[in-house]
Amino acid sequence: MSILLDDSTRVIVQGITGNIGRTQTRWMLDYGTKIVGGVTPGKGGTQVEGLPVFDSVGEAVRETGATASVFFVPAPFVLDAFYETVDAGVSFIVIVPEHVPVHDVMKMRAYIKDKDVFTLGPTTPGILVPGKGKMGIMPASLFFPGRAGIISRSGTLSYEFAGILSEKNIGQSTVVGMGADPVVLTNLKDILKKFEADDETDGVIVVGEVGGEQEEKAAEFIRDHMTKPVASYIAGRFSPKGKRMGHAGAIVRGSAGTYEGKCEALKNVGIEVLNSPIDVLEWAEKHNIT
Amino acid sequence: MRLHEYEAARVFESVGIKVPKHKVVQTPEEALEAAEEIGYPLVLKAQVLVGGRGLAGGVKIASDPEELKTLSGKMTGSEIKGVPVDKIMVTEKANISDELYVAVTVDGYSGRPVVIASTEGGVNIEETARKTPEKIVSVHVDPQFGFYPFQARRLLRRLGLSERLLLSCADVLVRLYKVFSQLEGIIVEINPLAVLENGDLCAVDAVLEVDNSALKRIEYPLPNFLERIDNPLERRGRRIGVTYVDLDGDIGLISSGAGLGMASMDIIGQKLRPANFLETGGGITEELLYKCMELIMRKEKLRGLFINIYGGINPIHEGAKGVVRYIKEHGVTIPIVAKALGNHQEETWETLESGGVHVITDVATEKAVARLVELVEANE
Repeated sequence: MSILLDDSTRVIVQGITGNIGRTQTRWMLDYGTKIVGGVTPGKGGTQVEGLPVFDSVGEAVRETGATASVFFVPAPFVLDAFYETVDAGVSFIVIVPEHVPVHDVMKMRAYIKDKDVFTLGPTTPGILVPGKGKMGIMPASLFFPGRAGIISRSGTLSYEFAGILSEKNIGQSTVVGMGADPVVLTNLKDILKKFEADDETDGVIVVGEVGGEQEEKAAEFIRDHMTKPVASYIAGRFSPKGKRMGHAGAIVRGSAGTYEGKCEALKNVGIEVLNSPIDVLEWAEKHNIT
Repeated sequence: MRLHEYEAARVFESVGIKVPKHKVVQTPEEALEAAEEIGYPLVLKAQVLVGGRGLAGGVKIASDPEELKTLSGKMTGSEIKGVPVDKIMVTEKANISDELYVAVTVDGYSGRPVVIASTEGGVNIEETARKTPEKIVSVHVDPQFGFYPFQARRLLRRLGLSERLLLSCADVLVRLYKVFSQLEGIIVEINPLAVLENGDLCAVDAVLEVDNSALKRIEYPLPNFLERIDNPLERRGRRIGVTYVDLDGDIGLISSGAGLGMASMDIIGQKLRPANFLETGGGITEELLYKCMELIMRKEKLRGLFINIYGGINPIHEGAKGVVRYIKEHGVTIPIVAKALGNHQEETWETLESGGVHVITDVATEKAVARLVELVEANE
């Protein structure tokens, strides 16, 4: 089993009638994803790529039996669409758009706190299961089926790591973009949990970056709960400082998300920290990940 | 976007948080005029958005007109940590008996607002967190529920404040949360929140940073964000819709994602020095990459350029046309290496090569940067 998505998952596309929604829907279909319809309020009854478009998520779910949704909704409308989607009973939601206001993301997270919904994003390329399907914008040509799991905060770096592995015929079980915003809907450790439980994944690559404390918290989880090998790369070693949230933010975020702090937290629990992306090949070979 | 202190003070005042009597001035003459209304002694505060402003000479006390004239004359036109002083906030010097710290910020990991208070105001809060963490209390807030006075009182009781101070401080916290919520704050902070001799509370400093992604919908007149960016190249970047950070090296960089851009910088940085960080986000068009080229090439003495883009959401084949159009129109001669993979990659390669760009088809950025290093060295 892959995690979160396979070739039988019934997926709807929200914002399917926009330019990006249309183009990406075609590419998701080309990749074999089971897209069953789309939603754009006011455009119900039309079609995109031969798929039915509905006015509401509730209607789309009733008519198609969809359990998953991918968003190409403009950032200012994401909060509203998200509430609607959760209310309609969709259990897996991928929020691709960037620039969703952080106060909206906090409300979204609060709304699903006690609900059985799994979410990725915002600012995520989505999820891709090589050979089975994808929700989001990952360019298919870089991926190849296999047994390495990838979780990335950055979209483009998830492509880079998958591509480096694929060139040497090392495949991926599932590639997940967790979202690049300061607040994301699902934290790194909760995605790691899925990979640990996945019998098609032999090892996981965590592609992190400076800022926040996702990697530090994940390190604790890996130490206490993971048996599979984990490698990590942290982007931003030479990045200028100043993307921090200020003094009060630094207090609640402990070591304040520096490159050094993250590497130390990861190394302390025995995670291999890669000096450069290409070093992932050596790591995969060492752990016999194919 | 971070607001200047005087702008934040205006916001705080509008929700009923007391701030010192003050005026914003740009010349010694204006300062003297302001002093007539405010009285002596008074405080001059340079309106620059840098950390450690006080230690860098950005805060001075004047006891009489003579001193005010000298100090304001020195301050106007000076630089604090490299940032020119355009405006000075002249404020009354409050009679302070005690100093507290209060703030509301976004806790990225839990995804909730967090309200923070401390009895140690007027000092670096990170320092307090390290040395006497018991003097800082905080509580997470459910953003859908909001923050009520009872929560503020419960939080402040943990600091052992007198009941009278506790009540007035709780009132300030609730108003501060209102600013955080209505102006979509990333951080709002008062340090110090002064306890005056008459027992009133007064925000002697004001910090407010609002979410750039929410600027269009915040129902409060905010300054123009573009004018806030001091570096002309960074301002130009924001204007065309990309993230541009000016650096002091000589290798230009265009990337289509922040993570990829940072990784590219890390790899370039091992042999050469990046001149900038530029990240397009998901909005590449022919026009945008033309403008990115124009922006990058404004930097003097560039030795090479690296373009690292992926066609996921971005139509890189369109972007490539913009790159090549710029090269041809301006006769660019420095070596340019591009790694462009994903949707429409072959078409992108063909276009880039027609403009003399060295296209690398390997996935690893390391290989592309190695090629750039060779070309840059051979070119000199």
